[in-house]
Amino acid sequence: MTDRRPGHVLLGINVLVLGYLPAAWQSPLLKKDSFVDPGYWAEIGRTAERGTLDAIFLADGPLLTDPAYDANPVRLEPTVNWGQVAAVTEHVGLVATASTTFNDPFELAERLLSWDNLTGGRAAWNLVTTRGAAAARNFGLPDVPLREDRYERASEFVDVVRALWASAATGDEVRHHGEFFDVEGRLRVPPSRQGHPVLFQAGGSPKGRALAGRVAEGVFAAELTKDQAIEHYRLVKRLARDNGRSPDEVKILPGLLLSLGSTEDEARRRSDELHDAGPASYSLQWLSQAIGYDASKLELDEPFPEDVLAAPSDPQTFQGSLGFRESIVAQIRRTKPTVREYLKQTRYTGSGHAGFVGTPEQLADHIEDWFHSGAIDGFNLQPDVLVDGLPVIADELVPILRKRGLYRHEYETDTLRGHLLAGSPTPSPETL
Amino acid sequence: MPTPYLALALAGPHLLELTGDPALLARWDDLPVAFTVLGIDRIDASSPAATTLDASSVGAALAGRTARGRFLVAASPQRDHPYNLARRVASLGHLSGGRSGVLLGTADAYAPPGPEGAEAWGGAGLGVGAPLTEATAHDAGRAVRKLEQTWPYDAIVGDRAAKILVQSGRIVHADHEGAYSIAGPLNAPEPATGASVVGWLASASTVGPAAAPDPVFDLVLGPDGPVAVVPLGDELPDGVDGIVLRPSADQSVAELLDTATRLLADGLRPVEPGGPLRAALGLAAAAPLPSTSRAAFPVPQPQQSL
Repeated sequence: MTDRRPGHVLLGINVLVLGYLPAAWQSPLLKKDSFVDPGYWAEIGRTAERGTLDAIFLADGPLLTDPAYDANPVRLEPTVNWGQVAAVTEHVGLVATASTTFNDPFELAERLLSWDNLTGGRAAWNLVTTRGAAAARNFGLPDVPLREDRYERASEFVDVVRALWASAATGDEVRHHGEFFDVEGRLRVPPSRQGHPVLFQAGGSPKGRALAGRVAEGVFAAELTKDQAIEHYRLVKRLARDNGRSPDEVKILPGLLLSLGSTEDEARRRSDELHDAGPASYSLQWLSQAIGYDASKLELDEPFPEDVLAAPSDPQTFQGSLGFRESIVAQIRRTKPTVREYLKQTRYTGSGHAGFVGTPEQLADHIEDWFHSGAIDGFNLQPDVLVDGLPVIADELVPILRKRGLYRHEYETDTLRGHLLAGSPTPSPETL
Repeated sequence: MPTPYLALALAGPHLLELTGDPALLARWDDLPVAFTVLGIDRIDASSPAATTLDASSVGAALAGRTARGRFLVAASPQRDHPYNLARRVASLGHLSGGRSGVLLGTADAYAPPGPEGAEAWGGAGLGVGAPLTEATAHDAGRAVRKLEQTWPYDAIVGDRAAKILVQSGRIVHADHEGAYSIAGPLNAPEPATGASVVGWLASASTVGPAAAPDPVFDLVLGPDGPVAVVPLGDELPDGVDGIVLRPSADQSVAELLDTATRLLADGLRPVEPGGPLRAALGLAAAAPLPSTSRAAFPVPQPQQSL
């Protein structure tokens, strides 16, 4: 561990509907339709607020994958979903994911600012691009533009949105004529308590990170190892500084998949039982998509061939996330597992996020270590099952972090931007 | 002719007034009106007011902050896409307990026009779009309805023994082909209360050729429809099913609620607050999608433990 770092850690919850594990819906605490029940969602918001958590996140994408065995594909529209939750909470930040690929920048800017206004300045937009033909076909297109183009569109999209948010404050017309968009107009939605929504960026491709360095105030990162997390943390902070911003204006929160128990054994048992209750077919499907190679063609008891690790078969048409892929490959190269061992280690986590199984005390150790090592500003915690996992975070983890001086005792700021800026400053900014 | 019911319509500044005042909101929630249109000035060919809020965002706030009031969110295809709109409509349906619906109009008074000939959705810069006409808006209504029905609510089974959450073999593609081409399915189930009410606001001044209201619309508001939109303070018409009181931007929500209370006391038909909008209006369930619709997923199989 390096020098003690002043200030406190940031804590978000990635609300993967009922929990990140496919078997989450089988919890006896849930109804079959909890994922569309306003009472369920209100309870998520209230529990997060009881733990004085900084923000709750909601992923999104304009398409449906098969929900046969898993509630994760269900997507209530995030501004509506978090709009309802905002109405029953007062402090917790609310982060809604929305695609720059399949939205109109004027409509989205107006809606996000309206939602931010109605939350009392607690809203953030997590900007993502959308991949894949399934989503494209919902918008009359045979397929989405290739990767390069998608990020250029995202970059221009965010500029239009920010200009429109500025117009809400100044009343000045925006006159934007770019490669993708032509917008002449202004918003008539009043600025929110925090002015306009906070911007988050998710994903670890070079273009994604460049965009984050330019505009994001929070990054939802995917990191499997601490060393790699430190490197990426410093990279994004440096990109922010290169754009004339303070490194403290962009906060880095990697995801962390969690199974918690009151003993390590209990946590492992919980994790094993939840994994075993899930559909057996998921792991190979997940790995194939994540690495851009048909994993069913791999020998299960052999290590990964180097050519499979080196690159997706075609980077231009690869449908997965480059950031996740990079993080997975680094992990495989480090531990050299066989394919079967790797699948058992990672199960079907569904992402390149690191996993943690243990007690709240051990989790606090982990957070403290990564925080003082300069790998994170906070974590975006992803419980296996939210309905009983989130209360453990709010009622057990948070008090431990408070005792250690790593977390605040009550909300001290009243907007999401305020919450984020109250987090610990970037360690050793002069050496970035 | 039975006594008409009363409904309300709010313009941009009223949305801020209502959501900014808890006492006013509580009063609104208790009022026995059929529904309230959120943001009618967006789609009724008015000039934009000085301030407004997006209607679906206001709907989400009302879903969480109130228990009984029913509402229609105003929407136009100008900058919105039916897939994105259907998602918000279905989400509101779930989170409001069916108290919500959508009211479509042709053009959005608060939005800049899109590219010529593709003013509807063309501004998204994806190389697709449609002319901003009533026909396009009608097609958006049809698409929203179909999309909401692609995933029947009762396909959610939560069968713990078979480890099947959703009988996803019953989820179908929308395969909508009109002004829009939309494969679907929607990524949320139909609300438990059934497909959301989809209404049409006929306007005196329209863009492009006027089309007859499509049968998809549960409700038609406007000059010649059975539900009349009446400026607050004007004389009430005879021979209509419902009356929608519409204040001007310089009249307040408090004035609107005062007038509504008086008109209800004077004999307009109260509609008890609470419960789904479809039931409050006495509307039949939406016609189901054709049984020949293309399945989106294979029939799920019972899962074994590892």
